[in-house]
Amino acid sequence: MDTLYNIGLSFRLAFRNIISSGLRTWLTITTLSLAFVMILFFNSMYTGWEYQGIRDQVNWEFAQGQVIHPAYDKLDPFTIESGHGKYEKEAHLTPVLIRQANIYPDGRMVPILLKGIPADQQIVELPTQLLKESKANIPALIGLGMAQDNNLKVGDAILMRWKDKNGTFDAQNITIAGIFETNVPTIDAGQVWVDLEKLNQLTGLQQEATYLLADAEYNQTTNASWNYQDKEALLKEFYELIELKRGGSSFLYGILMLIALIAIFDSQVFSVFKRQKEIGTYIALGFTKKRVTFLFTLEGTMYAFIAAVVGSIIAIPLLSWLHEVGIPMTSNVDQSRKMGITVGEYIYPLLTPELYTKTVFWVVILSAVISYLPVRKIAKMNTVDALKGKK
Amino acid sequence: MQNHINMNTNNIIEIQNVTKRFPVGETEFTALSNINLKIQKGEFTGLIGPSGSGKTTLLNLIGALDIPSEGEILISGKNVAVKSDAESALLRNEHIGFIFQSYNLLPVYSIFENVEFPLLLQKKSKAERKEAVMQALDWVGLSDIANKKPSQISGGQAQRVAIARSIVKKPDIVLADEPTANLDSTNAYKIMDILKKLNEELGITFMFSSHDSKVIEYLRRVITLEDGKVKNDETK
Repeated sequence: MDTLYNIGLSFRLAFRNIISSGLRTWLTITTLSLAFVMILFFNSMYTGWEYQGIRDQVNWEFAQGQVIHPAYDKLDPFTIESGHGKYEKEAHLTPVLIRQANIYPDGRMVPILLKGIPADQQIVELPTQLLKESKANIPALIGLGMAQDNNLKVGDAILMRWKDKNGTFDAQNITIAGIFETNVPTIDAGQVWVDLEKLNQLTGLQQEATYLLADAEYNQTTNASWNYQDKEALLKEFYELIELKRGGSSFLYGILMLIALIAIFDSQVFSVFKRQKEIGTYIALGFTKKRVTFLFTLEGTMYAFIAAVVGSIIAIPLLSWLHEVGIPMTSNVDQSRKMGITVGEYIYPLLTPELYTKTVFWVVILSAVISYLPVRKIAKMNTVDALKGKK
Repeated sequence: MQNHINMNTNNIIEIQNVTKRFPVGETEFTALSNINLKIQKGEFTGLIGPSGSGKTTLLNLIGALDIPSEGEILISGKNVAVKSDAESALLRNEHIGFIFQSYNLLPVYSIFENVEFPLLLQKKSKAERKEAVMQALDWVGLSDIANKKPSQISGGQAQRVAIARSIVKKPDIVLADEPTANLDSTNAYKIMDILKKLNEELGITFMFSSHDSKVIEYLRRVITLEDGKVKNDETK
């Protein structure tokens, strides 16, 4: 009870002391709360992007995992030729076959990845029912990015050339049955999707696939010789990208945070130097030196508390609003997608309780450490000299 | 009276063979040399002498703000020099009041809050604090300016606030270091009248350090220090 009372009293005194310090206090609090808002803003933007990216990639590309042919490496295009094989059919697996091909829009030759997926699949959001509904000989789906890059629209017929299982070139017209819009460029750029059954016929690779999309109930008992990667493993690169971006932006708010911490440090040095008489008086009235040190450390830390409150008053409504309306990414989205980065037209910042708590925690801890460093001097101070205000 | 030390003897302060040295460069300066004194409960005593005679040093040792190089200082029979930091702080908070030459009021608090401060440390209830503070301010005639800040009052008023703060917890001893040094003679007499009244009516032991003749007029016992030694000890 005594400890609680003493801590409560120290909080009251520290609050009074810093509120009465005037402009210096408010300048420090403003800088620190600005850093706090920036940290929350950038981190919630990346968290929002991460959530969106995970959702989009799982829904459009990865499903709950993939069972990959052992000879196929998605980072090595030379493995496409041989990285496929027969697979055991299973209700929880959806096969995808990848072949290399060329299309000739407007007479230009464009190398593509020709991907076959069952037209009746429902595991990913690709609108493959359009392949089923189309009356064309070889109906195909492409992404909006691919359509724009090659000036293609629904109903267009373009020549496609591919190799069958014996390495013999064949060519036929494909018809664009649908154009889908997605935030996942890795299923859009340079890719043409057709019905797997049709691709099996065109290539002669009957019941063969490059990888199998798994749903949540797949238990890895079939196709055991293939490599299973769950969605977390598949998202690894995306997580790494987000962390890289997060690290880059931390430089900006790191500078702000540093300025705020220097301001706190400066205030504390100033306090110990200028308030010696006050320190001596506290001791004469019954404080121990340890308690005065705690009080002064608390004053410095209180900047962080108040900055967190002020910052929260700004950041929480702002980020909640941005979560609703989103931040338009139009200037960057095309470039990012060309680089294969999953990004939406809008990013919806997401301020999670974990992110908020972690940010408050670190801002307060850093401020406490910085506040303590100059006031350690109080423990060595001569009380009699302090009472006289001797410098 | 609350919080008073349980005494077996009338000597509230006993100073036994106290010497205090301060380092000066590579040598030492002896501020007090082999001091022996006994102060009884309820005394109104002053340490007088020229600057550098050791008055304030002795007062600081009695107030457990500093420790002697040699000897013992007993407050109600207990040696204050061997107390821990926490025990010394408790002794100061509960049993000793301080009045300083430059008042040492806490600038961000109101007059009421300055006087209330020692009681906050004693964990008194709000009602108890209010009653004690208003009583102390009444004693010094300042209850009408309780809400003002130290920067809004005169030097004489500030010293009266410091007196109220020193007696609000009803201490056994009040140590006053040059309490009138920064005041004009009217205020100095007013302050000494108040302190004398508090001594007589509350029984608080007062110990001064001063070379102000106006203070000396009021003292019942005058201890003269010179070069860190007791030169004279006279009871009027």
